[in-house]
Amino acid sequence: MSASEITIARPASRRLARSKDRMERLMFLVPAGVYLVALTIFPFVYSVYLSLHQAKLTKLHRMRFIGFDNYAELFTDSLFLDACRNIAVLTVASITVEILIGFFAAKVFFSLRETRIGAVLRSASIMPMMITPICIGLIFSYIFNPNLGIANFLLGEIGISPLGWFSDPSLALATVILINSWQWTPFMMLLMLAGLMSIPAEQYEAAEIEGAKWYHIAAWIEIPAIRGIVLVGIILRVIDNLRLFDIVYVTTRGGPGSSTEIVTFFAYKQDFQYFQVGYGSAAAVVILFASVIITAITVKYLRSAEDD
Amino acid sequence: MTKQLLMATVAASVVLAAAPAVAETDWDSLLGDHSGKSINMMVVNDPYIEAIRKMESKFEGLTGAEVTTDGFGYDPLHEKEILGCSQQDDQYDVLFIDGIWVGEFVEADCLEPVEDLWGDTDPSIIAWDDFVGSIAGQAQWDGKTYCLPVGAYWQVMHYRKDLFDKAGLKVPETFEETMEAAKFFTDNPDYPGMSGYAMNNRRGAAAGQQYFEWIYSAGGKPWESNYPGSEEPYADQTPLLNSEKSVELVKFFHDMVAYGPPGGEQYQWDDRFNAFAQGKVAMINAWSVRTPGLSDPDKSNIVGKWASAQMPHAKGEKTVPPVGGWIMCLNKHSKNKEAAWDFMRWFASPEIHKEWALIGGVPSRHSAFQDAEVQQKLPWTKELYTAAKTAWTEGRPRHPLTFEMIDAIGLQVNRAIIGEASPQEAMDTAQEKVTEMLKSEGILQ
Repeated sequence: MSASEITIARPASRRLARSKDRMERLMFLVPAGVYLVALTIFPFVYSVYLSLHQAKLTKLHRMRFIGFDNYAELFTDSLFLDACRNIAVLTVASITVEILIGFFAAKVFFSLRETRIGAVLRSASIMPMMITPICIGLIFSYIFNPNLGIANFLLGEIGISPLGWFSDPSLALATVILINSWQWTPFMMLLMLAGLMSIPAEQYEAAEIEGAKWYHIAAWIEIPAIRGIVLVGIILRVIDNLRLFDIVYVTTRGGPGSSTEIVTFFAYKQDFQYFQVGYGSAAAVVILFASVIITAITVKYLRSAEDD
Repeated sequence: MTKQLLMATVAASVVLAAAPAVAETDWDSLLGDHSGKSINMMVVNDPYIEAIRKMESKFEGLTGAEVTTDGFGYDPLHEKEILGCSQQDDQYDVLFIDGIWVGEFVEADCLEPVEDLWGDTDPSIIAWDDFVGSIAGQAQWDGKTYCLPVGAYWQVMHYRKDLFDKAGLKVPETFEETMEAAKFFTDNPDYPGMSGYAMNNRRGAAAGQQYFEWIYSAGGKPWESNYPGSEEPYADQTPLLNSEKSVELVKFFHDMVAYGPPGGEQYQWDDRFNAFAQGKVAMINAWSVRTPGLSDPDKSNIVGKWASAQMPHAKGEKTVPPVGGWIMCLNKHSKNKEAAWDFMRWFASPEIHKEWALIGGVPSRHSAFQDAEVQQKLPWTKELYTAAKTAWTEGRPRHPLTFEMIDAIGLQVNRAIIGEASPQEAMDTAQEKVTEMLKSEGILQ
């Protein structure tokens, strides 16, 4: 074999090895890719396709292309608009409550961090997060039952007339917010507690020496220190709230009137009760895009806040 | 005394003799051997489900087939059955469907018409004319019989007889009298904790179905050609939801909230029944499947204190009792049709139907209603039978849009009940929504 032959053969075998290596890596990616295509990309594309049709599950063979008519109808459907308004109110109110109560709870647990009772209470406080939302809904259905519930019983004991927790349209959404916040305040509390624990002890000592009051410490040391982690929590909770379904399904079914109608419940009814899969898919696509846009805006804000 | 005893015995014998005889059938020779096969049924989780389960072993003993009954809530059952059908699922062989879903299920091609199967069956086993007409009609669609109407419900009004007797009140017959009686019991110091009337006010199917339960007795009709006795109820489906009678009825629902239990705006089927069974309200109307519970001390605080009467009607009108309930159908995609059909015709036969009714099932046949043993054990069926014979099959829409339409109407009725809209505004919106719905499906031009 001549020298020139050897110099040609070497790169060829290297290329072969590289290509084999690439193939191997690709083969490892195939299961994940198939999974992603089958369970995420295809359903999404099919949802978009359905949303452009007048389609009913019981007669899909008579499906008709109607362009963006479903979307146009959606944005003039008063029930869907009520659902959008309700979910916006619910998201903002729930997260606000969770942050406020979560912060105070985190402060309490922070001050008890060295004690055994603190550890026990901290573990106990995260129990609501571990219960499935369907069970939470059922539990609160009983608690707020107008005749048998303990909530009205306790109000009666202090001379307050029974409240229509789920039946009064001006109170029903607030009740759902209360339940939702009760379940997820511990999540915010844990995030903030982790943030508080990451603050160096020297900063507290310095503040004490300078004669700072508790609100100075909160405003100038603690809140800036936990702002990043709270924003992450907000992103996660916004996404969670946009997906909220179970509690409303169990307790109010969107009523009374449209006072607790939310977008996921709206889409569920169109898809699985009326089987209007075209219209329901349009609602689902809108929810997805809304989630993506809101999340993107929040992430952008988070990055700029971190840069500051 | 002996003479009285003799007279009573003679009277009892006459009653028994007068009741239609239910002949014993030789099931062993009639039914096939289905050893090793299993028959799966989807049934609503209503109180009669336990009675169905009690019958399973009897059929298993006759044929060797294993019968399994799975129960689901109302909405999940509808969802699961239609989704299963769209995927040609053969997991369940026998489907219990609400009579009003029949049009939707036929459209989705879910059902094997029983009419095509019973050709070689002894007519006395199917005994079609023995099914009460108002429910039998719900098993048919477009002139074809798809299912067997075994699980019929009708509605009557239940009232606290003890309290009405004590107050010297007449059992109400009209809407006005009902409201007066309800008002009397509400916040009355002589009847502490008591409210007048619990209704099905919850948004969606509950309030929507309530509208259809009362509209005919209010003298109205939901659409142009649908009225009791109409020859062609679906000929002209132009909605009349904002007609004067319709709006008056919704106003009546709204006004009755003041005489209902706290939180009554969110009540649905179970809530109104439980409130009455706990002794919290003086009157309800309810589907007959729950009625046995009122005499069960484990479920009821008012055993022996209640009675039934026909539901009220508007002045100058007459009561048109609601009919509902479940029809038993054969899944078109079942791979076990022969065994399933054997089960269905056995279960629906007059003989087995009576047996089922006596252990907690719902009488749906004339022979069961007229049976002395049934009448003795379930005395309230006498009033129910009157309702059954005068009910209107098409009381609720049965076409493929039924679920969506009832839900849309229920939303608007509920808005009026809670005061979010006036009855006129709410029913104008309902009219608009339902018209749009019917137009988009090509039912209306």
